[in-house]
Amino acid sequence: MAEYKLDCFGEACPLPLVKTQKKMETMNVGDVIVVEIDHSCAMKNIPDWARAAGHNVDIEEINDGEWEVIIEKTK
Amino acid sequence: MESKKRPARKRRNQVPIALGLLLLIIIAGIMLAGVNSMLAIYWIFGISFGIVLQKSRFCFTASLRDPVLTGSTTLTRAVLIAFMVATVGFGAIQFKALLSGVAGVPGNIFPVGLHTAIGAIMFGIGMVIAGGCASGTLMRVGEGFMQQWIAIVFFVVGSVWAARDFGWWSVNVIMPTSISDGVTKGFHLPTAFGWGFAFFGQLIILAAIFLFADWYEKKKLNKVPLEN
Repeated sequence: MAEYKLDCFGEACPLPLVKTQKKMETMNVGDVIVVEIDHSCAMKNIPDWARAAGHNVDIEEINDGEWEVIIEKTK
Repeated sequence: MESKKRPARKRRNQVPIALGLLLLIIIAGIMLAGVNSMLAIYWIFGISFGIVLQKSRFCFTASLRDPVLTGSTTLTRAVLIAFMVATVGFGAIQFKALLSGVAGVPGNIFPVGLHTAIGAIMFGIGMVIAGGCASGTLMRVGEGFMQQWIAIVFFVVGSVWAARDFGWWSVNVIMPTSISDGVTKGFHLPTAFGWGFAFFGQLIILAAIFLFADWYEKKKLNKVPLEN
């Protein structure tokens, strides 16, 4: 049950999602990844993709315009 | 879902800033109305458009990129609905102008041709790299995303440059590859195919793309969990 952190501050839209997808591939089931983002667009497409793929997703606004997307790999 | 509680950082209260900004917007609107009432209308429309864009996380870039990247066509379908609404609205405006006998068709009508496709591909590559199209970049500049401040500077540089050389492009590229009769005339679907065919044809095509996008997403999403 490892927890990974992915720092995507300052990265524009498709990059955080692509990085998340790549990282998720290397993770085991039950592992958690915390993606830190400050691009509002990624706040939509990362959770959308993760939910569609069937993972558990949680979003937290940690600061004004900064979010943490917490994804638990379920399969 | 289980996750360690992280200490919540103290956040600035943005309500006073919002109220101050609202006051500034109203004052600026009243001042603009004093100069020209149309300016005040543009002002309010621009701000409303920005709010809707930001709050809905509407993104033309994502509408074309996400189907390829994630299989999600939510924004694609939103854009298609916007096109349909625009088709009905602009169709009504133009048809009314036609009935009242105004010379020429109101609206921005441009020639189409190979240059449209080339320009669209170039714009598509640019907007994915820059992380937003024109409206999306502007909206994120306002949100405070620094990288897009750079993008907007070069967007302005590029637009100014294009405007400066537009005459040359018009004569040497747009004219020869255009399928319209002349540069100034533009290509107007109802003029070319008739009103009924152009109007309903466009709506039917958009609806067909909508259904395809819906089917595409369902197909992609059913596939995704199996792959992982």
